Formats: sequence, structure tokens, C-alpha cells
Amino acid sequence: MSDRVPAFAAESLTKRFGELRAVDDLSLTIEPSEIYGLVGPSGAGKTTLIRMLCGLTVPTDGTAYLLGAPMPGGRRAVEHRFGYMPQERAVYRDLTVAENLLFFGRIYGMSRARISERTHELLELMRLDGHARQRADRLSGGEKQRLSLACALLHQPDALLLDEPTIGLDPALRREFWDHFHELNGRGRTILLSTHYLHEAEWCGRVGLIQRGRLIADGTPDALQREAAEHSGRVGPGQAPDMEEVFLILTGSGVPGAGGAS
Amino acid sequence: MKAYRILAVTERVLRQIWHDRRVLVFMLLLPAIAMLLFGYSFSGDITDIRVAFVDEDRTDLTESILESLQEDDAFKVTVLERVDDPERLLLDEGYQAVIRIPDKFTSLYYAHFAMGVATSAQGTIDLTLDESDPQIATTIQMGLADAAMDLGEGGPVEIDARELYGVEVRFIDAFAPAIMGLVVALISTVLTLLSIVREKVDGTFSRVWVSPARRAEFILGYVVAFGLIAFIQSLVVLAVGIGVFDIVINGSIVWAFVCVILFAVGSVGLGTLLSALAQTESQAIVFFPLVILPSVLLSGMMWPIQAIPSLLRPLSYLVPLTYSNRLLRAVMVKGLAPWEEPVGFAGVLVFVVLTILLASVVLRQSAGERE
Repeated sequence: MSDRVPAFAAESLTKRFGELRAVDDLSLTIEPSEIYGLVGPSGAGKTTLIRMLCGLTVPTDGTAYLLGAPMPGGRRAVEHRFGYMPQERAVYRDLTVAENLLFFGRIYGMSRARISERTHELLELMRLDGHARQRADRLSGGEKQRLSLACALLHQPDALLLDEPTIGLDPALRREFWDHFHELNGRGRTILLSTHYLHEAEWCGRVGLIQRGRLIADGTPDALQREAAEHSGRVGPGQAPDMEEVFLILTGSGVPGAGGAS
Repeated sequence: MKAYRILAVTERVLRQIWHDRRVLVFMLLLPAIAMLLFGYSFSGDITDIRVAFVDEDRTDLTESILESLQEDDAFKVTVLERVDDPERLLLDEGYQAVIRIPDKFTSLYYAHFAMGVATSAQGTIDLTLDESDPQIATTIQMGLADAAMDLGEGGPVEIDARELYGVEVRFIDAFAPAIMGLVVALISTVLTLLSIVREKVDGTFSRVWVSPARRAEFILGYVVAFGLIAFIQSLVVLAVGIGVFDIVINGSIVWAFVCVILFAVGSVGLGTLLSALAQTESQAIVFFPLVILPSVLLSGMMWPIQAIPSLLRPLSYLVPLTYSNRLLRAVMVKGLAPWEEPVGFAGVLVFVVLTILLASVVLRQSAGERE
């Protein structure tokens, strides 16, 4: 793949569910090797956008591109090259940790030997070693989430779509997840993730603020902070608004509880 | 389409069942329990029907009728001296029938032969019958007819019975194929339905859908898994059938397995179809009776389709088990090849093709994907 081809792109992407415009005329380009965070409250349209980008939801209007392929029609060409972590933890609760990885590895055409090698690596990385033979429904919430991430990483995809990967995790574990993301990103993986924890935006390379299906602002965390500062007339050292304030200022709505639970 | 992906799905489904010991045990016990329960409760032998016998003639001939009745396990015969009001005996004493042989029965009986057929004079037995249970009433009528026929040579009716298919087919012999079909249909449909609904609820469905796995591979994976399970369940049914009830299989066991597995394939398709109508596991459970009731009541399993009221009979032909029953009975009891029972065979094939095709369409929609 040439670096010219964006990892993810949305062109005037719209999804309507009846009257509701879940995603509304949204355009966005994410270059390879970026770590991009879709940030916004629950119900803002983040999940719908991600589902359209990986071909699970068909847009009402506009086009979604994944690694240059229009979705869902062109998915066949790129399906081996991206990994998806749905918001539901999406692991087989009645299979063991290792069996979950075995199944996903097999449908990606990996050999059993390779799967067992990767399982070993990933379980170590996700601090799940020792849990290989444990059934997924006996894992804690955080462990299940790490397994879910491991399933998305198993086949070593170039691009990752992670829908609320850190939801419900305690702060320490969330930090650990972000360390994984940065490490993966450091190895050239493109990551698009969504979060409603506004402060996580600061850890992204680039951030898209999304509200009611629209992209309100898009830029590096620094740029967004500057923009918000200018907007609010707050300038000078120590005056930089945090991401929560950035969101409130830029959405102009003063939406409280933007970091609330889903 | 790639075999390794089909087998990956198969392996996963089997591992899931393996981990859920309750399902595993249920799956293996159900065929045995169904066979034992149905086998014992429908063994066709009605016993101990209380019958009052009043002999006013008292000859060797009437004595032999009594003996035949007494030898019949179906009846518990009480001999009474006289009876004035047979109805009272039914109502008050709990008899289910009163058989009265009137005075002069024997002489009229022989007179009939002496005078040829052109006479209305013949021995008549009075039978007062409790018709409230038709099955018992029929048993009594048949038992009495048997007893009358046992009178020996020169009896008024000579029945020329021809028993087809080699041995006498008992109810249980014809029942085993139906149990096989029922158990396989039940397990394949219900477990496929639950499994796919669970994939939707848990989100693993989305994950499979963005992977290189194809819909056809996904369905075939289930088909192979439940085909294998159907085979094992059929073995259990046959083992119990042969071991406990000594059932007779006249046909080819290989063809029987082929047909049962074919039926399992259609049932997987049906389960997949139904999964489109349920978003949660509790919604899925609503469909269970929808699968079970028509199969048991309308498929010709418990009673022949000819016994189903004509208004409902067209429904029978919409129940897949109807065709499976015809096919499996033809193969196992009559010893025919599947194509020698064209209606059953075609019915099962249509069921398979239709449900699998529709299941594929339905899965595409469940995934929210329209290519």
C-alpha cells in the first residue's frame, strides 16, 4: 500500500435510522500510522461511523473507505488487513481464552502453530498468561476486554478499529491499554478508536470531536486546545483548557456530563 | 469457499457444546429419554380393561369365547351370573364394557351354517361399551372380534391377512424413525437458533462478519457440526430402540443415517432462519414450541396423518418432520431406498435447499450488510 492511500476515509457519510441522523454528512481522512480518537458523548454516532468504516453498516449516503477500499462493497480486498474490536466485548463466553483466539485465527487462515505462537505473545502482552484455559465468562470485565483486544490484534492487521476499547476499565488498566495502543502505533499500525472519556483525547495523535453525528472539530490535541483557548479568550501560560473544557467550548453547547456513562 | 474456515466454525460449535456440560448431557440423554418415554407409553399394549362377561347360554362354544378373552392381556374379565341393566354396571361399577351372550346363541350360530348365508338368524353377542375413551373402546371391539374369530374353523368370517415387509411391524418399530427425526430436528434447530442469537447479542457476529469468513462457510460450519451430532443422536436412539425395545430394522442403516443427517442440515437452516426473528435469547425461546408442537402433533408421528382432521391436514404437509417420518419409515421399516419414497425424499430435499438458501439471505440481513 502506498502511503498516499488514507487508512480510513469518510466522504459526506450519512446514516439515518428513521428520523434519527446517527451520522450526518461527515467527512474525515485518517492517514496511515495515525492514532486517531473519535471523542464524544454516548449516542454521538461514533459506533455507527466505525461500523460503516468496517462495512457492517451500509451508509444512507456518502462513502466510507477502509485502506482505500469502498465499504462494504470492497471489503474482500482488505479484510485480512484490519482488525475490529466491537463495543460489546464480542468474545465467545463459552470458549476458553485460547479457544477464542484459535477460532479467530483459523477464520483468518492462520496455521495452528502460528496461532499458538501469537496466543503466547498476546496473552503475555495483555497480562492474560495463565488464563489460556479459562472460559471467557469466568474472566473479569477488564480481562475480557483485553481478550477482545487480543482477538482484534491476532492476525497482525495494519489498521485497527476499536470501538470504546477502554470503556469500564479502571484508570490504571486504561493507562495500560493506551500504552499498548502507542506501542502498536509505534510499530506502524493505524488506530482509529472511539472514547467518551474526554481526557483520553490528549493521548491521541489527532482527535475528532463528534456530536449528534457531526464532526465539530478535528486536529491534534494541542491545536484543539489552542482553538478552544482562542474561542474562549483564555490565553497565556497555565490557561490551556483541558479536553473536557475544549469539548464544551468547541461544541458551544456547554453540554454537561459529556463524559457520562453510556 | 475454504474448507478450513468451515471446519473452524464446526470446531468452535463443538467446543462450545463440549464446554457446556449440561447441553452435552442433554443432547445425549434426550434421544435415549425420548425413545424410552415414547417407547414405554406408546408400546401399543393396553392392559387390564375391566370387562364384565355374562354368559346366558353356557355351552362349550361360549366357554371358548370367555377363555379367549381371559387369555387376552388387554382385559380383566369378571364373570357375572346375570345382568339386568348393563349401563348401570358401566356407571356404578366402573366396567368399561359389558359382554352378554344371550341364551340360544350357540344354536343360532350353528343354524346360520346349516341354513347358509340367506338367513338373518345368527349368533349375536350384546356389547355395551363405554365409548368415552375411543382407544379403549376400539381395543374392546377388536378383542371381542378376535375372540369370536377364535371359535375355530367354520367361523363366519375368514380373514386372509397378508403381512407386508417380512415381519409384523409393531408401533415401536415405526416409532423409532420418528423419534430419530424429532430429536435431531429439535436439537439442531434449537441449538443453532440459540447459538446464532447469542452471537448477535454478544457481538461476535460482527467480528465474524468483518473477517474473511463467508456466510456460506458459517452456515456449513454449523451444518457439519450438527450433522455429526445428528449421527451420534441417531446411534443413541437406535441403541435404545434395539437394546430395550428390540426394534426391527428392515432397511439399510446407512441410508437411515444419510437421511437423518440430511434432515439435520435442513433443521440447522430452520434454526438460522428463526434466528433472524429474535434479537435476544428470551425471544428465541418463544420459538421452541413453534418447532416442537407441530412436529409432534401434525407429522404423523403419534397418529397417522389420515387421522388428522381434513381442516388441519394441509398444515401437516408444511411440517418438515412429516416428510422425514415418511422417508425414515420407508428406509428403516420397509427397507426401501430413499428415492423409492419420492414424497418423503423430495420433501426433505426441498426443506434442506429452501432453508439453507433462505438462511443465507437472512444472515446477510442480520449482519446489517447488504452487498
